[in-house]
Amino acid sequence: MSAPSTATRTVTRPWPDALGTPPRGTLRRAVGLLEVSRSRFLLAVLLGTLALGCAVALAAVSAWLIARASQMPPVLTLSVATVGVRAFGIGRGVLRYVERLVSHDLALSGMTRLRTTLYERLADGRAGAVLGVRRGDLLARVGADVDDVGDLVVRGLLPASVAVTLGVATSTAMILIWPPAGLALVACLLLAGVVAPWLAGRSARATERRGAQARADVNAEALGLLDDAGPLTVAGHVPARLAALRDADLRARAAVDAGAGASAVAAGLGLLATGIAVLAALVTGVPAVGDGRLDPVLLAVVVLTPLAAFEATSVLPQAAVQVHRSRAAAARILALVDAAAEGPAATADGTAAVALPSDTAAGSRATAGPTPHDSPRADDDAPPTHLVAHGLVVGWPGGPTLVAGLDLDLRPGRMVAVVGPSGTGKTTLLLTLAGLLPPQGGSLTVDGGPVQPGASVALTAEDAHVFGTNVLENLRVARGDVTEDEAREALGAAGLGPWLSGLPDGLATLLGPDGRTLSGGERRRLLLARALVCPAPLLLLDEPTEHLDVAGADAALRALRGRADRGVLIVTHRLTGLDVVDEVVRLADGHVAARGTHTDLMERDADYREAVWHEHEETP
Amino acid sequence: MKPLDPRLLRHARAARWYVALTVALGILTAALVVAQALLLARALGRTVDDGAGLGGGAAWDAVAPLVGWLALVVAARVLVTVVQERYAHRAAARAIAELREQVVARATALGPRWLGDGRGPEVVTLATRGLDDLEPYFVRYLPQLVLAATVTPATLLVVLGLEWVSAVILAAVLPLVPIFMWLVGVLTQGRAERGLAAMQQLSAQVLDLIAGLPSLRALGRQRGPGARVQALGDAHRRATMGTLRIAFLSGMVLELLSTLSVALVAVAIGLRLVEGQLDLVTGLAVLVLAPEVFAPLRAVGMQFHASTDGVAAAQAAFEILDEPVPDRAGAAPCDDLRRTPVRVEHVSVHSARGQTPRDLSFAVTPGRVTALAGPPGSGKSTAVEVLLGLLTPDEGRVLVGDRVVVAAHEPATVDIASYWRQVTWLPQRPVLEPGTLAQVVGGDDERRAQAAAVTGLDTVVGELADGWSTSVGRGGHGLSVGQAQRVALTRALVGSAPLVVLDEPTAHLDDAAERVVLRTVEALRDAGRAVVLVAHRPALLACADDVVTLDVEHLAAVER
Repeated sequence: MSAPSTATRTVTRPWPDALGTPPRGTLRRAVGLLEVSRSRFLLAVLLGTLALGCAVALAAVSAWLIARASQMPPVLTLSVATVGVRAFGIGRGVLRYVERLVSHDLALSGMTRLRTTLYERLADGRAGAVLGVRRGDLLARVGADVDDVGDLVVRGLLPASVAVTLGVATSTAMILIWPPAGLALVACLLLAGVVAPWLAGRSARATERRGAQARADVNAEALGLLDDAGPLTVAGHVPARLAALRDADLRARAAVDAGAGASAVAAGLGLLATGIAVLAALVTGVPAVGDGRLDPVLLAVVVLTPLAAFEATSVLPQAAVQVHRSRAAAARILALVDAAAEGPAATADGTAAVALPSDTAAGSRATAGPTPHDSPRADDDAPPTHLVAHGLVVGWPGGPTLVAGLDLDLRPGRMVAVVGPSGTGKTTLLLTLAGLLPPQGGSLTVDGGPVQPGASVALTAEDAHVFGTNVLENLRVARGDVTEDEAREALGAAGLGPWLSGLPDGLATLLGPDGRTLSGGERRRLLLARALVCPAPLLLLDEPTEHLDVAGADAALRALRGRADRGVLIVTHRLTGLDVVDEVVRLADGHVAARGTHTDLMERDADYREAVWHEHEETP
Repeated sequence: MKPLDPRLLRHARAARWYVALTVALGILTAALVVAQALLLARALGRTVDDGAGLGGGAAWDAVAPLVGWLALVVAARVLVTVVQERYAHRAAARAIAELREQVVARATALGPRWLGDGRGPEVVTLATRGLDDLEPYFVRYLPQLVLAATVTPATLLVVLGLEWVSAVILAAVLPLVPIFMWLVGVLTQGRAERGLAAMQQLSAQVLDLIAGLPSLRALGRQRGPGARVQALGDAHRRATMGTLRIAFLSGMVLELLSTLSVALVAVAIGLRLVEGQLDLVTGLAVLVLAPEVFAPLRAVGMQFHASTDGVAAAQAAFEILDEPVPDRAGAAPCDDLRRTPVRVEHVSVHSARGQTPRDLSFAVTPGRVTALAGPPGSGKSTAVEVLLGLLTPDEGRVLVGDRVVVAAHEPATVDIASYWRQVTWLPQRPVLEPGTLAQVVGGDDERRAQAAAVTGLDTVVGELADGWSTSVGRGGHGLSVGQAQRVALTRALVGSAPLVVLDEPTAHLDDAAERVVLRTVEALRDAGRAVVLVAHRPALLACADDVVTLDVEHLAAVER
């Protein structure tokens, strides 16, 4: 699969400009992300106005027709009106149908654009922005928020624009016929089209403010219950958690109730405005007819037209609610995008920032065309392969220092193991070495330059994601052109040969979401196989032998050792089988406690020796 | 697709009184609509006929009472609308909450295996977003449906009483509406359901990609899937537009029929007026009433699309609610597991890979440690789910004493809750409630400190600024995986359940911690508690009294 060139364009567009705009530009920015075509939007407005205009015209012309007919003129004088009435009767339905298709297509393509842009911004931005977001939040953000921002076009901007153009046209016509009734209509249209939506929007804001936390709690409780159904059932916590869900829903409902009053008044205002417009036309028009200032036929027109004139404003309260909802959703999406955009990872010396992948791709491989990332290792341009760390200091940004003063040398053909008890920052060290976290100090270079995640160094984290697709595609995550034979070979080397042959559809077998159909060991081996097909010359693996038995662990290490053109660094707390690595670095208390070959450490390091012996003792 | 599914009224109590209220207000609305049309026609008709030349004051005096009554009717209609709207939101929120709770409860009761078979994300989407689509159904669609059943026949009858030609036109067009609605509905139904499925799939896939973003970044492969997201979105757009082209047809047919028939009525009345066969007041009344005949139907058509999502979500919810829950409710309280062993007899479970486990038998005895060993995929976790009574095996049974916990071919006789009360289960990913560490672990200070010393949680707590008062989120959010594992272990040690099931408990623990876990397992055994271990690690297998080895190919064997 190849990324469209538009993706590159979107990513490299200068984003920080938009960062400077005040928060009240939220909606404008979000609409910008939708990349809605202006001309198609105007077309939709035109179609919508004409459709509703037909309804108003039908009411006005048929009122004229009947009032005039009652004066028994020659039938021919009515023929234009009878044709007009029929034409308006047909035009309305057809025009409205076309308008809805145009506007919905506009909204859906906008949503797709926004979804893609969101993904790409997150993919290219700061790693922490994604690591910090929980699953439930992601669900709400990517799913509902994108839909809500997309709905802004169809349910917010479009009805508002149509109501404005149609309102101006209708009022102008009415003022020309009978100014008092026309002016009353203007006032009533403002009541229905401005005051009612304002009330509805205010009520929605109140509901939102009071209900946001409750809504989030409802989702979190529902997700938690469904995710951990088994353990919660056994622990007897299901009734309590269902009660918590009910409680959260109760709070959400209280918020809905608090806002419902204003929204009900807003709904009533629409009807009230219609009634007042009709009554005003009667009250001003009847004496005028009596005085001969107004043609009786036109009185029928000014009294009956308002009955059809409020259709455009009747949807505006809902539109106001939608605008508000879309703005809140847009703010959340933009916050996520901004979090990813700010402060990309810094290099080892802390001065120059690591360039965004798009920039490095464009800079270092100008000839690679629009899809540099699909073949990150073009034959003519081998990636840098020599990773060197000097006095490296590791920790989360703003967090405590976890490891300090680390020297490392990793190049193809070399295998290094970093060992130590859990909680000593080994995982953080790996994220730093992979270029996904900035070092707190010291230097970290690959062939003298900054680390480019993925190009030279590929990390397989302990909790790496297994995608909800088939086995083969899960390996192709590491390299897009893995053949079926290569996949079988890698799975075999990772000890999954028998597992693969037992699968109903072989490589095409679908794995459940987040690999839930896999056992811990199978998952670990699948991630190992993914690392084995990875094209990067330097592999970093977090606990590759976790969940594996002794034979499986040894086989896994040997499989990693297998190739001379690859450097491997593993982080582990298991010491058995480490005689295959070139260097063991033992961390303790945030420093290198000892380093050397397995044999060296067995001779020199008493702690290491004791730990290895202990592991051997346990082997039956 | 039924416009009002009786199951909705059955499952959501809030829907019942809401429907009743809506019907009452609908009848009232019908009366007010007719009154408004007649008053308006009379006031307007009199003025147009006779007003000219009367002089302003006289013309006004002739119709002033009518206008006064008209104002009252308008006020009443406003009031009815306000009341309807006021309670619609409340009823919708309540009914959605009722359905959500039932769906979550049922899905939870159906068990982890049912959720794991690909239903999980679907149910999650349904419970978090899908059911909310019922709000437009309740607030917008249902009231219009009721008005279509009250206002439409009432206005049509009044028109018939006033002027039969118009009534004939309207009555001829009216049956076309349900016929076309039905036609379009039949065409749309499958598509709307597919649309919901497509939306759920899209949501799941995009979510999956973003959840995997850290992994993709680590491999330097994060850029490709952007195109995938775009392609998925485009596919979704095409599918949805296909649905909408047909769904909107129903709206178009409705609008076409209603506006066109109003136009025809207007022309017919006009012609009869010219010929003097009709008086203006009647003509105006029919002209005002004609659109009202179709207004509720048009509104139903307009809200039809919004309601299909809600109806489809409700259908999905009913499907889950109609799913039979495995009967796990025996009546007899479970024997005391401190004295009685749990026996697993000849258990087999069919899976995609054959029978895993196959013909598995072992006993879990108080004061003994039983280890389940075997290669990945041999069914260790499945065996645990059967042992815990969460999964009904395809063959075999689990007994406590002579009572059945769960069995393939016979009903359970043990009250499963009384069994679970005696069990502590540590799954591979620890499940922690939110709260302070002290609350999560439980027990009094002394027991907690003792247990924490054993698991090494005391050093973790010592490094935290707030110590035991540190708040952790759901699932141990804020803790590392290893720390959460230690918290869960400590909780198991603090508790007093006679049967402890540890699923690979040494994962994420280093050697030192592993040693103390071993000591703890021994302590549990010495205290007479039964321990079931799912493990690969030699240290754990060595400490077990019984090792049950599961194999993919061969029968399970018990070694001593």
